[in-house]
Parts: sequence; C-alpha cells; structure tokens
Amino acid sequence: MTIVLAAGLFALAAITQIWVAADPVIHVLVQFPLLGLSGYLLGRDRFIPGHWVGPALTLAIFFFLFWMLPRSVDEALANWQMHVVKFITLPLGTGLPLALSWKYLPPVLKGFLKAQCITMFGVLGFLYTHAPVRICNSYLVDDQIRLGYGFFYVACGLSIFWTIPVFTGRQTQVRRALQGTHLS
Amino acid sequence: MRKGLFLTMAAVLFGSAGLAWSTDGLRVFTAEGARRMEIAREQPQVPGMVLQTMSGDLEKLGNQPDKVTLIEFIYTTCPTICQSSGGEFAHLRDLLVEKDLPVRMMSVSFDPVADTLEALADYGALHEADGQYWTVARPQLPDLTEMLDFFRVTVIPDNWGGYQHNIAVLLINPEGRFSGVFNTDAYKEITEAVERASR
Amino acid sequence: MMEQTYPYKPQAGAVKLTMLLGGVVFLLMMVFGLALRATQGGLFEIDPAIFYQIMTAHGAGMVGSAALTGAAIMWYFVGRYVNLNAAIYWVFLGLFLIGVALILGSIFYGEFGGGWTFLFPLPAISGGAWDVEAAVAFCFGYLFIGVGFLLIYLDMGYRIAINYDGFLGGLGWRFAWSGNQELAPPPTIIAAASVIVFNSIGIVFGAMVLVASIINLLFPSFVVDPLMAKNAIYFFGHVFINATIYMAVVAVYEIIPEYTGKPWKTTRVFALAWVAIVIFVQAVYFHHLLQDAVMPDWALALGQIVSYASGIPLMAVTTFSLCVYVKGSGLKWDLTSSLLVLGVAGWTLGSIPATIDGMVAVNRLMHNTQWVPGHFHTYLLLGEVAMAFGFSAWLVRGKEQGIRSGLERFAFLSYALGGAGFVLVFLWSGASSIPRRWAIHLESWQFQDRIGTFFAAVAILGSLLIVSRYTLRLMRKGEE
Repeated sequence: MTIVLAAGLFALAAITQIWVAADPVIHVLVQFPLLGLSGYLLGRDRFIPGHWVGPALTLAIFFFLFWMLPRSVDEALANWQMHVVKFITLPLGTGLPLALSWKYLPPVLKGFLKAQCITMFGVLGFLYTHAPVRICNSYLVDDQIRLGYGFFYVACGLSIFWTIPVFTGRQTQVRRALQGTHLS
Repeated sequence: MRKGLFLTMAAVLFGSAGLAWSTDGLRVFTAEGARRMEIAREQPQVPGMVLQTMSGDLEKLGNQPDKVTLIEFIYTTCPTICQSSGGEFAHLRDLLVEKDLPVRMMSVSFDPVADTLEALADYGALHEADGQYWTVARPQLPDLTEMLDFFRVTVIPDNWGGYQHNIAVLLINPEGRFSGVFNTDAYKEITEAVERASR
Repeated sequence: MMEQTYPYKPQAGAVKLTMLLGGVVFLLMMVFGLALRATQGGLFEIDPAIFYQIMTAHGAGMVGSAALTGAAIMWYFVGRYVNLNAAIYWVFLGLFLIGVALILGSIFYGEFGGGWTFLFPLPAISGGAWDVEAAVAFCFGYLFIGVGFLLIYLDMGYRIAINYDGFLGGLGWRFAWSGNQELAPPPTIIAAASVIVFNSIGIVFGAMVLVASIINLLFPSFVVDPLMAKNAIYFFGHVFINATIYMAVVAVYEIIPEYTGKPWKTTRVFALAWVAIVIFVQAVYFHHLLQDAVMPDWALALGQIVSYASGIPLMAVTTFSLCVYVKGSGLKWDLTSSLLVLGVAGWTLGSIPATIDGMVAVNRLMHNTQWVPGHFHTYLLLGEVAMAFGFSAWLVRGKEQGIRSGLERFAFLSYALGGAGFVLVFLWSGASSIPRRWAIHLESWQFQDRIGTFFAAVAILGSLLIVSRYTLRLMRKGEE
C-alpha cells in the first residue's frame, strides 16, 4: 500500500515537471517535497541495524543541503543529467534515509534538527527576499522573492505544526497508555 | 556503537567532500558563481563571430591583438537595469581612459531583431559611447544562440515584454580568450584585471 | 529544617562549576563597571574607544553570566523533578564558553565596541574603529550561546512535556483552567516551562537578526530594514534579560521552604501570574522603542499599558507569598536566606523605576539618561545576581545552616548597601538629566559619578567576599 502511495507521489512530482521551469515555488516547494515524501514513505516501515542510523541521517542531511543550493536548483533545469540526479537523490538520498533513521533518534536530537530546519528556512527566506542580485539565472527576480516568502511560510507552518503536539501532550498520553505507567 | 560512530564519521567526511565539490570548496553557491569560476579557470577561446556595430561596420569579436575587449550584454528597450548598467559602463570608460588603458568596450544586444542600428545608435548617444573606445553592437541572428551559450548568458522573458538576464562585464584578453566575469560596478577589480591582461 | 524527597538527584557538580565561573565573571565585569564609572567621574582615564569596548564587554558579560547562572539554577532544580541528560549540560557549557571566547576576542582583539545590543547598522559602520570580522565574530559568539540554550531547553522541555502532560500541563495552564489541584505542577516546573516557551521565541528572533546582520556585514548589498532589526533585537534582548531573573527566582521557590518549613505551593493565582508573564513579557518589549516615532501608535500604547501588567502580577504574588511564608516561621538569617530575600526585594523595587520609564511621557525625557541603567541595575545587581549568590552560598552550605558569622554579615551588608547606594546614584543622576553611555562627562556631573564609584567599590568588596567564600568552601568540600 505504501509503495503504491509512494509511486503515486513520485508520479505527481513527475507531472509538476511541466511547470518547474517557469515557477521556482513549484520546483522547490512542491516538486522537491513530493519527491522527498515518496522516498520517506518507502522507508517508514522498514528497519535498519543501529550502526546504520548515523550514516543514513548524515546522508539525508547532506543531500538536503545540496538541494538547497541555488546552483543545484539552476542546474536541475539546465542539463538533463541533473534532472535524473534530482529524481533519484531526492527520494532515495533524502527521504528514504531520513525515514530509516528518524525513528531511532533521541528526542533532543529530533528537536534540534527540527529547530535547525525552521531556522534554515527562515534564513533562506531572508536571502531570497533581500538578495541584491538574481540567485537563480533561470528565474525572474519577482519569482525569487515569491520563493523567499514561500520559505517564510514554510518556516512558520513547520514551527506551528511541530510545537502544537508539545503543548497538548497528546503524544505523551498515547505513550503512557502504551507503557501503562503514570509518571506524575 | 563504535561501528556506528565510525560509519557516521565516514558519512560526514563523504558528505562534506560532496558538498565541497558541488560548491567548488564553499566558494560557489549559485550557477552564476559557477560560471565565473569555470571561465577564470578554463579561459576558452572566443569563436570567431562577426558583430555589426552601431555605425553599420562589421567587426570580428575579440579580434584585438593589442588590447583587452570588455563586453556587456544588453537590450536597448530595457527600461531598468541595462540603463543603469549603461551608466556604470560609462563610468568605467571614464576610469579606463583616465588611466590611459587601451581597451575596446562593447555593449552587445541579445535582441538583434528589435534593436535596429538606429536603436543601437540612440543607446550609444545616451551614454556618450563614441564608437571608437566604446561602441554598441548586435550579433548576426544565426550566431545568437551560440554566442549566448558561449558566454553563458541566460535570458528569460519577464512578464512585461522585456527580459531578465545575468548582467555582467565580460573580459576577452588580447589573445582572444574569454577570461573574466565581473559585477558591473566592480570598477577596481575590472581595472586591475585589464592592467594585468594588457601587460 | 524541612526534609523533602524528590524523584531525581540534580547534577550538582556541573552546576557548582558553573556558579564558580559565573561568580568570577560577575566580579570581573563589576570591576569593568567600576572602571567605567570612575572614568566618567574623572578619577581614571581611559581612551573613549576603549571605554566603549569595556562597556560592550560589561553589557555582554553581565547579560551572559546572568543567563548562565540563571540557567544553572533552573537546570539544578528542574533536575529534582525530571531525569535530565548530563551530557547535554556539558555541551551547553562548552558552547557557552566558545561563545564567550569569540565575544571577548572580538572586543579586546578585534576592538569591537558596538554595545551588547549590536544594534543594526552600528556594527557595520564603525568608522574604522573595528573591522567587519570583529563584528561578525561577536555575532557568532551570540549564536553559539543561543544554540547552547536551545539544547538545554529542548532537554528540559521534552522531559517536562512527557511528565506533565504536555506544556499545557507543565505551564500550569490545565491547572489554572480547571482548578484541579491534582494537575498542579510544582512552582519550579511552571517557571521552567514558562521560561522555555518565551525565551525560545526570543532566541529565535535573536538568531534571525544575528544571521541577517552577519550576512549584511559580509555582503553589504543584502540590506536589512533597520526598524525591523531594531524590533527583533529589542524583542530578543528584553525577553532574554528578563528570562535570567525568571530562571533565577526558582532558587527562591526551592530554597526558602528549607528555612520556613513550609513548601512553596502552586496556587491558582500563582499559575495565573505565570500565564500573564508568558504573554506580557513578549508584548511589553515595545517600551524599548518609545523613542522611535515611526513605530505605530498602537505599539507604543501597548508598550506602556503592558508595562503596568507585565512583571507586577508575578512580583506581587512572589513577594506576597514570600512575606506570608517568612512571617512567623522563625526564618534564620544566614547568607543564603538574606541574599535570596534581597533578590526578591531588588527585583520588586527595580520594577518601580522600570514602570515609570515605561510611560511614554516619562520615557521621552528619561530614556537616554542614567535613569535607565539605574532601573536595570536594581533588578539585576540586587535581584538576579543576589539570587545567584544566594544559590551559590546554599550549594556549599554546611551543617551550620541558619547561622551567620560576623564576616558573612559584613559581606552581605557591604554588597546590599553598596549596591543600593550605587543604583540610587544612577536614578538620582537620571533624574538630574545626566546622559547614559557617555565616555566623557561634564565637570558638573562628576560629583554624582564619584559617589556612584564609591558605592560600586563597596558592592564589589561584598561580592569579592561572597565569591571567595564560595570558592574556598568548594575547594574544601572537594578535599573531603
């Protein structure tokens, strides 16, 4: 079932290829996440030995960083080799290893990575809205600024999405029910 | 535990190397930066294209054995950045003339259909390009794609009937090699590069 | 004495080391402050460029060590209720020290003198006084410290969320809403959860403006909107410095009951006061921008109105509770209890000039006078630092708890009276329109400067005795 879903997301990402050359928001904030998510789904129910958790997470982080470089975004439009690289590494280099390692990570590291992720989107938002030059040769300045605001919205959305469970503590109720303990 | 740590360290090294490689050692983050880096390294020979200057004469590009050629790509109907960079190009001309450096400066249109000779001449007059030290020119239509490809100029239509393009001052040395890309207001860097190349 | 058991044992060793570091830095920064006051009073001569470097170091160093000691106090007592990860604390301390090294390097090697608030665009336009690299190093120093705080907040926050049914539980909001005493977390947990919430938001804004400043310093063509930067910086600065006191006050909640024999109870009013803090401490920062005529009127009005409402509920609750607990309890005045009670008193009294300065009409006249350092020295020197010193004294307490020797009595009085005199001179100077942050003072101002210098020296004498006592006892305990 998850494989079908993953394939579906991948197909959806392939369809968005029609618009990516014209709109960086679709390219970076729709196609990239779709590709990543399709890989994530593949790894969600799979398990790896403990000593592969660190390398998997590292791999995911580096590919993530690579695809945040404006140069990579540009080159994914300029030549076909990078097209292929994009469709392979976003699902299999980012989403999949992230899903494989995430479930083993200690909570503080998870929180730290989430905080870094929000900060990075905030900084990208600042860079793309304030750049005095065009960052991507393939896109118009107006689109670049739109992408910058997109990064800001993502940062805001993620911070809300990730902090609400911390406040409500619903997760902890579930955990308590599972463990059958009452701590306080 | 130790195995995991070892593998993670290896992955970090591998990832850092990959990231360093894809940014040319953390120096290049954009395609424009990559273009400048590669040109400085490879210094490709400029293909023998012929341009038509605003006076109607034909001139082979970069065929100036005794001097440096500086090029800037523009289109004359541009309402914004080409005008200000035209002003910057004029200021650069003043600086180079003051230093008595032998240079051929060209503003080259990438829109040879809309930019008639008259339009080129108007643009030249506006920025006081004399046609000798600095001229305005356009390529032959069949050469256009190859020329933009060679200089890695990306031109995309904006939504107002104009274009957005990566504007820069491009340097061709006396040997006819494309060897430098500069911001249009980087006067000091350009002057120094011209001095080095003319020596 | 009351004996109470807790689920977990705090990490005393790391915290003791932190309090030693904090105490020594406090002392050093006080000496810097003394040098600044003496220079203003004409008793001492420093080149103005160096004056501003020392002022920057004094500001950043005091805020930093207040935050460090506050964090240590909070970590220690939160560690009684939840199981904290010691490794995280060491990473925090390491990051903090890297940050301190960068900041000190940027100031005394790079000659950065742009003030602890690094207000945009001053770090970028020094007029040749310091290089861009120095300003960048200063900003990176702050970032390291920010990351350290993020880590300990994450660990404490995660444990609190797990054990107290999410932050709504840990903040005491579920209890405040329902009144069900079974849902009431201990005061320490409420304070910690509240600080984690608002200070994390503050640090996020601080980090954003720091990164933007660094980018602007390195690539000046990335222009930052100065008003936006000022808002972000003062939001961060206000929240962060307030958090130091809210972290330190935990020591009062945890230690005073040992003297009174009555545990500090979480009442509904107490929980509601902390609800108010979490919201108001953020909304009130506008009162730092009352001089900025371009700010919208509603923001300035909010700044003034919330100034009344911000600290006052909690201070009222804490001070009132303290009086009730102490009254008739036969509390013994030793160094710990005296310093902690002084801390609450200084914090409360400091809010009076602060609230006065938070009024638009007053602020127009007083903002750039010594009234402002007067008010914040009241609740920092006599509030946060007193609480930190009290906590340190408690950490090295012996069997003689409740007894005060003659020397301890002298040290306390010297610290309290010297400190009180010092802040009163600041307030007096502010009332007589003497400007703040000036390296060179007119002769007619120097009389007051010299009195201030004298009181500063007295307070430093007291601090020296308190810190030395702590250090000696720590060494003796280490030998045992």
